[in-house]
Amino acid sequence: MKNLSIEQTKYTPQIDLDASKGEMNFFGKSYPENTFEFYEPVLSWIDKYFRKHAKEETIISLEIIYFNSSSSKLFFDFFDLLEENNDEHKITINWIYDEENESALEAGEDFQDDFENLTFNLKEK
Amino acid sequence: MHINQIRTIIESEGIIFLTYGGILSQTLITGMIDALEKEAEDNNLKMGIANNIFTIFIELTQNMMNYSSRHDQDSEISTDGLILVAKEEEQGKIKNYLLHSNNVVSKDAKEKLEDKLQGVVTLGKEELKKKYRQVRREGKDKHSLGAGIGFLEIAKRSDKMNYHFEVINENQFYFNLNISIMITD
Repeated sequence: MKNLSIEQTKYTPQIDLDASKGEMNFFGKSYPENTFEFYEPVLSWIDKYFRKHAKEETIISLEIIYFNSSSSKLFFDFFDLLEENNDEHKITINWIYDEENESALEAGEDFQDDFENLTFNLKEK
Repeated sequence: MHINQIRTIIESEGIIFLTYGGILSQTLITGMIDALEKEAEDNNLKMGIANNIFTIFIELTQNMMNYSSRHDQDSEISTDGLILVAKEEEQGKIKNYLLHSNNVVSKDAKEKLEDKLQGVVTLGKEELKKKYRQVRREGKDKHSLGAGIGFLEIAKRSDKMNYHFEVINENQFYFNLNISIMITD
């Protein structure tokens, strides 16, 4: 399966999805106007990965500095997709935040509460 | 009107940033965020507070794009909206950041906005957090542009939020949204 990389912009994160390593990394800000169109290829890639190409363990790291409400909805759908695959696959999520970034920590805590079945770690940078 | 009159208002009201009408696009919003990031850095704002200001500003501009008529070709959107960011100072210390938005809406839009906003401005912090997560969960896989969660996002990240409408004519209203963010040490 081909890897997917999307270059960071000022309003969208760097995204690196690596099927051979079983790693998915997101870093940056997220406030595109067309959030769902922007993330659609990412969600399709992940869906395909879990259907056919998943590694024994998949590690997902997200460091999102700030994001708009439609990205917040999108991340919810993303974690929901991970939760659907959680029974058959070993998935670890690392939500990374700067110690001074209270809003990022709070967002991570809310996702952690919403997805109790996922291994969802909050990690200070 | 002489441009000096505008300058006088800007200086006396502590306005940092003002955008009116014309074309809104993602690139422009990003440029405005750059200016606000500079403001936050110059005043050593705490990262959490600064991020709340940026997020609220993004919600306001993107809401405004959603209300306005769309120019599909290049995703630039023409609006008649006004957004301003100002700060309130006391003895040389920043007390609050204020964000105001003003745009023209139809009677239909006014009724929908009132419905959404009434359910938001009356809630306390904990209730807002709960409602936000509930709306996000219920909106799963729905990709609507509805501003429901947007207003909750704004309310959750601000210290005060209120709105009012002013009549222009029987089918048009000014929609004003006022937000205040307290600066703590």
